[in-house]
Amino acid sequence: MPSSIQELDLGKVVISMDKNKFVFVDKQEIEEEEYRKSLTYWQDAWRRLKKHKLAMIGLIGVVLIVLIGIFGPMLTQFSYSDQVNDYKNLPPKLDLYKVDDDIYIYLSGDYFLFSVAENGRLIKRLELPKENKDIINKVYTYVLDGEPVILDFSYNLLPGKRGYDYDFTLEYKGNITHDVYKTVLNKIYPFGTDSLGRDMLTRTMYGARISLIVAFVATLVNFIIGVTYGAIAGYEGGRKDNIMMRFVDIVNSIPLVLYVILLMVLLRNQGLWTIILALGSVYWVGMARLVRGQILALKEQEFVLAARTLGVSKKKIIMRHLIPNAMGPIIVAMTMMIPSAVFTESFLSFIGLGVSAPMASWGTLANNALSGLITYPYQLFYPALAIAITMLAFNFLGDGLRDALDPRLRKG
Amino acid sequence: MKNYFIKRIIYAVFTILLIATITFFLMHSIPGGPFTRERPVPDEILKILNEKYHLDDPLVVQYFDYMKGLVTFDLGPSYSKIGTDVEELIIAGFPASAKIGALATFMIIIIGIPVGMISALKQNRPVDYMVMFFATLGVTVPSFVIATLIIYFFAGILGWLPTFGLNSALSYIGPVIALSGYSLSFVARLTRSSMLEVLRQDYIRTARANGLKERSVIAKHAMKNALIPVVTYIGPMIAAILTGSFVVERIFAIPGMGRYFVESVTNRDYTTILGMTVFYAAFYVIMVLLVDVAYAFIDPRIRFGKGSN
Repeated sequence: MPSSIQELDLGKVVISMDKNKFVFVDKQEIEEEEYRKSLTYWQDAWRRLKKHKLAMIGLIGVVLIVLIGIFGPMLTQFSYSDQVNDYKNLPPKLDLYKVDDDIYIYLSGDYFLFSVAENGRLIKRLELPKENKDIINKVYTYVLDGEPVILDFSYNLLPGKRGYDYDFTLEYKGNITHDVYKTVLNKIYPFGTDSLGRDMLTRTMYGARISLIVAFVATLVNFIIGVTYGAIAGYEGGRKDNIMMRFVDIVNSIPLVLYVILLMVLLRNQGLWTIILALGSVYWVGMARLVRGQILALKEQEFVLAARTLGVSKKKIIMRHLIPNAMGPIIVAMTMMIPSAVFTESFLSFIGLGVSAPMASWGTLANNALSGLITYPYQLFYPALAIAITMLAFNFLGDGLRDALDPRLRKG
Repeated sequence: MKNYFIKRIIYAVFTILLIATITFFLMHSIPGGPFTRERPVPDEILKILNEKYHLDDPLVVQYFDYMKGLVTFDLGPSYSKIGTDVEELIIAGFPASAKIGALATFMIIIIGIPVGMISALKQNRPVDYMVMFFATLGVTVPSFVIATLIIYFFAGILGWLPTFGLNSALSYIGPVIALSGYSLSFVARLTRSSMLEVLRQDYIRTARANGLKERSVIAKHAMKNALIPVVTYIGPMIAAILTGSFVVERIFAIPGMGRYFVESVTNRDYTTILGMTVFYAAFYVIMVLLVDVAYAFIDPRIRFGKGSN
């Protein structure tokens, strides 16, 4: 039996151990391993946020929307207010009719003919002299480079011309066409144009800028008023708190949109700042409640007592000790406030209280699209899509932030 | 309990009066009077108009006149619809708005809650994913977009529904869907998450461990508690339906209060804006009061917690 093996006789059980199997612990090494890099609250939150897939999608979406809002309108060849009278109400997809070799025609909903290249690049609008409009027989004669193009849209409308598969024909140099040759994307106006011939792509991106400016600044105003009010109420406590919160309760028991509308009427809609002011001065009550709750809990903690004992002023305790510690829920609330501000702004613009023309927000774009909806649905589609994407992105990000910054509220 | 109700009622009356006061002074702080036009009205006419509408009285007198009128539901004449009183507009528009609003509320409750429940019970199954997809879509798309899309597809292209008015049963479908879309989705999501929360509670495990049937575990123990957070959403829901009616009534051309309100905003018809705002706010406060009272019956924690102190 090797000498290194010790035998312990514990009653009847014999345990044998090989000393070589054991190594002395290097104390220093262990201690070094025990120390992990200490993460601050924000680093920890970021680590958690990165794990949240939907939140990261939301974050990327938000960054993209903001970048599009800032740089998008600079990159297109049109400005948001440029009007091209010839190119009104052009959709993003053009149905082309081939009337001759290399001559393609697009017929718009307003009975205008456009000469279009095969790849979808608009060349020009065909002229239609007034005397060429034969409304009774429903035949219009357009002029393309001196040659007449005859649009006969009397089929299925006039007696004796019923039972056709098609409603109109195009005649050019004796060739008659009535079938769509192919559908191409509008190369000059990828999102089409509106009723004044303005580029929808530029306007949608510009709308992003306006909608986001309104939402961000209004949220900032909310933040400043709400945090100040809530912090004072929470820190002071007692009667002041009671009176201040009763007021909040009352404001909160009113449908706030009514007051935004009232303020907009009152301020007479003098541009962007009125809508920001109206939104900012009304929606702070939720923030005030939240901050007050946080402060009430925080002010009982030892570090506040310590600060007070040291003679730190009230203002400084609130600004340097209390609010930074309540920042997590505040940021979550702000992230959720931005999409609802976008929503409210578009709602206001929709009922005619938004930014004034030629400026455009998504709400005004949607409102403008309403009158020609049946013929030009694409004019509503893009701003509506933009609103929906923004709402989704901010909501995803907000959910993720809530999980990351406020683990107590985490779901699941 | 009794004290709680009395307190709530006094509180509601006080709130309504305060709202009326704030609104009154806000509307009267607008520079220029209601008769300020681009082309100035001659002084003599302005004087007569001011006298007729008592605008030459001191503000305090006007205020007390207005409050007196408010108590007797006399909201004064409309400035832009000559010969009509504001309360006549409200009486004319309220039934249509109320019908659509009530139907929308009904839809939200009978569809939103069961759908959320089913979604929670079938968590992470196809049904759940589908419900969540539509519910998420519903809270991201504004009501005016839903309304216009309904008009476009069902009224325009398919021709199944009328595009305007409230003349047939079919014509209610569009407005009600547009009005309830957001809140329905929200209620479904809320019900789902609160149901999931409740299903994880210890008392549900206890109920199951005691050998109760799954059906009675869910119906008797889980459902009731899961619905409490949903009840708290009723207040915001009423507000959402009120404001939603502004756009929905405009798009579907329904002669309701919402449309009159939006019209008065565009026309800068101050008395109508003032009267309707007060009416809306009062209506909302009363509805929330009723909900809170009902809530106190449902949830004993409210009654003995908030009510007693």
